[in-house]
Amino acid sequence: MAQPNHNAPDSADRLGGNPLAAAGLSLVVPGSGQYLLGQTTRGLAILAGIGLSIGSILWQNMPTLFVFVAFAWLWNVWDAYSLARKATRSYLPPLFALLMVIYTVGWNITQIEPQKLAQQANRAAPIAHGMLAPDFVERESEFRKERGPFEVHCSDNPPPPTTTLKSGGTITLSATCGEVGDPLHVRAEGLWPNVETEIWWANPIGQEQRVVTPEGQQLIVTTDDTGSFEVDIEVPLAVPLSHDTGEPQLHAVQINQTRIIGGWKISDNGWLVITKMAETIAIALVATTFAVFFAVPLSFVAARNLMSGNPVTVAVYYVTRTLLNIVRSIESLIIAIVFVVWVGLGPFAGVMALTVHSIAALGKLYSEQVESIDFGPIEAVRSTGANWWQTVVYAVLPQVFPPFLAFTIYRWDINVRMSTILGFVGGGGIGFLIVQWQRLSQWEAIGAAFWSIMIIVAVLDYVSAKARERLI
Amino acid sequence: MDNQPWKKSPSPWKYGRSALLAVVIIAAYIYSFRVTELDLPRLVTDFPKAVPILQDFLTPDVLARGEQTESYVINYPVPCGSGQEAEIPDSGPRIVPSVPCSDPKTTITVEGFDLRPDTKVQLRWLLPDGRRLRSARATTDGNGHFNVEVEIRPIVAAKEGNISQLEAELQWESTGLMPSEALKITFAKIVETVFMALMATTFACLVAFPVGFLGARNIMGTGPVGTVVYYIARTIFNLMRSIEALVMAVMFAIWLGFGPFAGVMAMTVVTVASLSKLFSEAIESIDPGPMEAIVAAGGNRLQAIVYAVFPQVIPPFIAFAIYHWDINVRISTIIGFVGGGGIGLQLQTWINQLAYNKAGTAVWAIVIVVTILDNLSSQIRKRLV
Amino acid sequence: MLEIKNLTKVYDDGTVALDNVSFTVQDGEFLVIIGLSGSGKSTLLRCINRLIEPTSGQIILDGVDITAASPAELRRIRRDIGMIFQHFNLVKRSTVMRNVLAGRLGYVNPWLSLLGIFPKEDKERAWKALELVGIAEKAYNRADALSGGQQQRVGIARALMQEPKLLLADEPVSALDPATSHSVLKYIELINRERGVTVMCSLHFLSLARTYATRIIALKDGKMMFDGLPEEIDDQRFKEIYGEEAVRVEVN
Ligand SMILES: Nc1ncnc2c1ncn2[C@@H]1O[C@H](COP(=O)(O)OP(=O)(O)OP(=O)(O)O)[C@@H](O)[C@H]1O
Ligand SMILES: [Mg+2]
Repeated sequence: MAQPNHNAPDSADRLGGNPLAAAGLSLVVPGSGQYLLGQTTRGLAILAGIGLSIGSILWQNMPTLFVFVAFAWLWNVWDAYSLARKATRSYLPPLFALLMVIYTVGWNITQIEPQKLAQQANRAAPIAHGMLAPDFVERESEFRKERGPFEVHCSDNPPPPTTTLKSGGTITLSATCGEVGDPLHVRAEGLWPNVETEIWWANPIGQEQRVVTPEGQQLIVTTDDTGSFEVDIEVPLAVPLSHDTGEPQLHAVQINQTRIIGGWKISDNGWLVITKMAETIAIALVATTFAVFFAVPLSFVAARNLMSGNPVTVAVYYVTRTLLNIVRSIESLIIAIVFVVWVGLGPFAGVMALTVHSIAALGKLYSEQVESIDFGPIEAVRSTGANWWQTVVYAVLPQVFPPFLAFTIYRWDINVRMSTILGFVGGGGIGFLIVQWQRLSQWEAIGAAFWSIMIIVAVLDYVSAKARERLI
Repeated sequence: MDNQPWKKSPSPWKYGRSALLAVVIIAAYIYSFRVTELDLPRLVTDFPKAVPILQDFLTPDVLARGEQTESYVINYPVPCGSGQEAEIPDSGPRIVPSVPCSDPKTTITVEGFDLRPDTKVQLRWLLPDGRRLRSARATTDGNGHFNVEVEIRPIVAAKEGNISQLEAELQWESTGLMPSEALKITFAKIVETVFMALMATTFACLVAFPVGFLGARNIMGTGPVGTVVYYIARTIFNLMRSIEALVMAVMFAIWLGFGPFAGVMAMTVVTVASLSKLFSEAIESIDPGPMEAIVAAGGNRLQAIVYAVFPQVIPPFIAFAIYHWDINVRISTIIGFVGGGGIGLQLQTWINQLAYNKAGTAVWAIVIVVTILDNLSSQIRKRLV
Repeated sequence: MLEIKNLTKVYDDGTVALDNVSFTVQDGEFLVIIGLSGSGKSTLLRCINRLIEPTSGQIILDGVDITAASPAELRRIRRDIGMIFQHFNLVKRSTVMRNVLAGRLGYVNPWLSLLGIFPKEDKERAWKALELVGIAEKAYNRADALSGGQQQRVGIARALMQEPKLLLADEPVSALDPATSHSVLKYIELINRERGVTVMCSLHFLSLARTYATRIIALKDGKMMFDGLPEEIDDQRFKEIYGEEAVRVEVN
């Protein structure tokens, strides 16, 4: 960090230590005085810092920031003057000024508005709720749905007031025909006792709608010990007026009861999460495995020490390295887009994308290992008269196998993390569910997905760390 | 010591365990191969589908021929008498209407003389309220002359004393190449991406720096309070490590809306977790000697930290921070796909528009920036360590 | 005057490192502690400024009981006790100057010191200390750019900054070669003679102890074996302290 001797110039002083010349030059072109005094790095750093700052200020059109640039510029003049007189000034004040510029511009570009965190806290509430009450398990329960018929526009013989239900109990209506808006008294007996019961309304074609309280909430009543309740409702509008011919229509009051009959079980969404999570891990596993098969041979081709023999191999080395570096810098999510077009939506596209990215990532890590192998054992084995293959098997593989395996496990770990979101572009895995649920605002289900990702990632993180510890 | 260890047979339990492990691994592979719907032949048979997108990616939209335009505007009162008529010069480039004014729902001819030859001409009405209305198109001949019929629609009538103007715009491609629109957008977005990573890493450092000390055994000491704080800190680090930046971004995108801020926050949270742990490990691995020396000289705990711990941990801290900046740049190239802003969001937009050339521009920008930062960060770290 | 009364230290694992040690050090003495590795020399020295908490016994410096001091009092007492370490305990990445100034931390305003601000007179004091140990020209070098002997002299300068009454030195030269050892010990001796600072120093080599000590204490398995003048250690005593098989090694 700290240079032992700040005054040591990088190259010769070409200003003959003239302070005014240095200051004047730096006033015109920042850093030039320092540069010519022999402090080339300092000079270039000053020029780059001030240049970049001015560029970003102009681009973002934030002229007030020029104050900081002006400060740095003046400092630079003083610094050149001092340097010529063999005194070193601390570079912290101008560094700080230029950092102010960079960070203010960055703050602006990335649209950081901390107040949003509080202002929009209400938007975070459903996510928080979903995380706290994930839809993963539910109580095992049974459901019953009962109806008592009601005619809108009375016919000559309306249905009887009391309906006897097949599964026991009765529903009795104070009237069984009438008009929309009429008051209606509903009495039910012999239902499941002490259960919260939802009142619904079914129209002639069987479409169900909630009966709501004046506040707009679902009307819920609780049955007493004998399974009875009484409630007053109004006949709701359940057929669009445009379809109302004035003919009698057979509607029904509907009662929905759900009661818990057993312990916990995994909910439907829970099962979805489990299967998709398994798919996610499977995608990562298959992709990592495929990648290994390609990366191992590639890594030998991309190892400088093995390829430095003749111009052809050197060329092969550079081409391979460059390709690996290019592919490595493109995240699998982007590669997945190509494969989704190529092989269609689904886990296969995800597998291919992860494979391609992993080949590059593993290829680089492996090749670095190959580059650091010890040639002693290779010579020893070769000197026994072993052929090329024998040398590889007896002297090279034993050296590279444990680190290769460690990197592979590490890669699998990363691939699991990545495959959780491949679904965002159609690459299979749990990400697909998250996108869907996000659109449907199913926060509890998203909560279940997030928790499962966190748990799986944590477990794999731990397992892979332990496994790697044992290998290295 | 067993004098013939090689003859010792492993216990049956060990065999059993290995066999079990093998079965589990094989089962995992069988399941995985089935569930991932591998269909390798499709890679070949459906390759034609990938060709256009790959071609487009390989020929990114970087340069465009600059459009050059030249326009001539004349007053044209509709109906006649509603305003000043145009004065048409006799020579030089000019446009000439067949009649100097006319009524709505009539048709006039407009001619152009001595204009740029063999050039497209777009005629337009500049309406009194500032709006523009496209009208006829034409092409000049070798002498720079065009002739086209123009319909006078009621909308071009004068309003409140202001009349419409007729504009003839000549458009041609300039010979020089200019950066394309996609390149300009990509540049802005890639800078945004780099800044997202920078801001997230900086915020994370500001949090992780003090928090790292709470998770360092040698700083927290062995007292009851210190021990409790240490364990709480360590547990939180470990729990937070399992949070994925991209999953986090989904949440923040809902909370803060799509955009770079959501991405910055998501990366900040994840980076805090990772950096705090690394920081506290770095603090734990310092040489305790200097701290002891300061305590022996009568310094207090805070002084010991500032004088003995800071100088030892700052270089590794900077190395870790730069490393995470590098990682965050990679993440922020894709965080846009889940709502986090940056180049990822733009890339997704272009892909949804099937504008693969433009997407290619973005991808190459990512390759270049990630590669540069990767090298830069490893150079700096090498120097620091 | 330093009085050690019935000092005992039992480590958490049950090791008895000091067993009922009592002695008195007069002002201006150059007391050398010798003994085999593991005999408890470091433990004794560290108990004095309570870098290690004694299990029982008392340590009284100029009438103040160090063992009974509160944390704030302890810090004030520690200012008066300088310490020099076997491995120098310098902050390697910091400059020599900053390392030396750190010796002053017990005196200065704690808040200003956190910002790296020291009074002018402390800076002058630091220059003087560095001049005394002969490395003033290295003041703005990084500590790890110095040789071992120079680093230990920085350690001495740092201890000098405290203007101590008592200087503890735990094997100050065992990481150095014989010639450098002498030069470092000479500086300690200088401080002892000219400034009248009491020195307690543990050393491995008897020859070094003989050269510099005005009095020698020997420890074996945590017990005091010998307390007397350097000349009094004859072959018999030597064997008692270092064991039967030990051979005298001379360092010149
Ligand atoms: N922190 C500790 N916990 C337990 N036992 C310790 C501890 N430090 C020292 N000991 C033990 O106390 C005894 C005395 O150790 P001490 O370090 O004082 O010896 P020493 O004379 O300085 O030895 P050396 O010359 O090797 O430095 C030894 O038996 C040692 O193993
Ligand atoms: Mg010792």
